[in-house]
Amino acid sequence: MLRGILLTLQIGIISWIIALFAGILIGTFRTFPWRPLRVVGTAYVEIFRNIPLLVQLFFWYYAIPPLVGQWLNRMHNLGYYCAIFGLGIYTASRVAEHVRSGLNTVPTGQRFAGLSTGLSQLQLYRHVIIPYAIRVMIPPLTTEFLTVFKNSALAMTIGVLELTGMADRINARTWHGLESTTGAIAGYLIIGLSIITLMSLVESKLRIPGLIKR
Amino acid sequence: MNKQDTAKGSEPMVQIKNLSKWYGDFQVLYNINVQINEGDCVVICGPSGSGKSTLLRCVNGLEDFREGDVIVEGVSVKEVSHNRGIYKLRSKIGMVFQHFELYPHLTALQNITLAPRKVSKVPGQETEKIAMELLERVGIPEQARKHPGEMSGGQQQRVAIARALAMKPDILLFDEPTSALDPEMIRDVLEVMVNLAKEGITMLVVTHEMGFARAVADGIIFMDEGKIVEQGDVESFFKNPASERAKDFVDRVLVHI
Ligand SMILES: Nc1ncnc2c1ncn2[C@@H]1O[C@H](COP(=O)(O)OP(=O)(O)OP(=O)(O)O)[C@@H](O)[C@H]1O
Ligand SMILES: [Mg+2]
Repeated sequence: MLRGILLTLQIGIISWIIALFAGILIGTFRTFPWRPLRVVGTAYVEIFRNIPLLVQLFFWYYAIPPLVGQWLNRMHNLGYYCAIFGLGIYTASRVAEHVRSGLNTVPTGQRFAGLSTGLSQLQLYRHVIIPYAIRVMIPPLTTEFLTVFKNSALAMTIGVLELTGMADRINARTWHGLESTTGAIAGYLIIGLSIITLMSLVESKLRIPGLIKR
Repeated sequence: MNKQDTAKGSEPMVQIKNLSKWYGDFQVLYNINVQINEGDCVVICGPSGSGKSTLLRCVNGLEDFREGDVIVEGVSVKEVSHNRGIYKLRSKIGMVFQHFELYPHLTALQNITLAPRKVSKVPGQETEKIAMELLERVGIPEQARKHPGEMSGGQQQRVAIARALAMKPDILLFDEPTSALDPEMIRDVLEVMVNLAKEGITMLVVTHEMGFARAVADGIIFMDEGKIVEQGDVESFFKNPASERAKDFVDRVLVHI
């Protein structure tokens, strides 16, 4: 069971990091005043958020190895990597949407102000727009962070013994369904509550003096 | 009285030449021509929606325009607007906005030092020193460590002016800097602006503060519906505006004061 929790944590955290980086990048693309980047961003989001996660995981696990080469199939952790990758880039599409709407809350005047002092477009994002938008984005991102862990349960379908998979196996072997599922529930609750605590810490850390708490 | 004779060199600081601009199908600016000499303070006034803010933003390339050009210190805004030259040009033009537009997550000091640190790569300590001097100059050194949300409107606007000065600009653009302020604060901000004008920095000011125009402006431009209706000397504009529309406008703002 403990191994299951650890694996769930691993998958969740690593794919969250992927999701965060890719999501911020893609979401930023979607607001950039340059059309090709916006097209790339929109295409990414629409592809990945419109296909069920389960199908995406199956795609990475079953469809990619024959295309890339059978050596992939011999990798004994294939399911684990597919789960992290698949979950990461799927969640990225959802993060990107929050990032985009967060960036759009930044008033045009802030852009004008930054640019008028000579900041480049990149510096403007880095020092003015993203720091402003990140504060608006924290609540929806907290939800996504929690969702990553819940979605990671799907990894059991591609042979990863994370928390849910572990509970399932224990149940199958010992017929202790109550204990095994309760264990999984407890595991998810502990993870979830820790994340909420962490994120509210982050939120209060980022609170801007003199502004009403959002 | 007119600084035109004393301006050194022959090139004006800012030349707006046959500028026309559209937002989609809607024409905002019609064939605008303006020249501003070094050290001059020019006031732009006119009814709401006449294109004053848009014109100001064309000067530092925050808006693109279809026809004509703006030449700032010999540099064509149109030419540099598609390369990195625009950043350099903008750093030499400070801008102050109606709603201050300070960065809310940074302190007053950080608001001022951001551009010098990132654009001119001046070391942090040095920029802080310059920023403190600027805050002294606008009269609020004690606000240095506060965030914009903790300051009054007048204080915020003075920080914004300090931020605009931090890149040592040759030109300052003001877009209705006092129209979001309470009367007592207007005086503080105008005082700073009057001092800047007297120090001889080139200024283009959109404002309806006619007292300010009379005290320091070297010229006034009256706009309506995207066109320059009148352009010339401040006193004669007030005493006998040539056009009906300007007359109406002058009557209204003067009654208002
Ligand atoms: N981004 C935009 N897209 C479309 N139309 C715009 C945009 N910005 C301004 N306009 C229109 O252009 C005209 C000029 O606007 P502008 O803000 O330059 O006027 P202004 O003279 O500064 O007015 P005010 O005194 O109210 O600030 C207005 O009719 C406005 O509705
Ligand atoms: Mg305006």
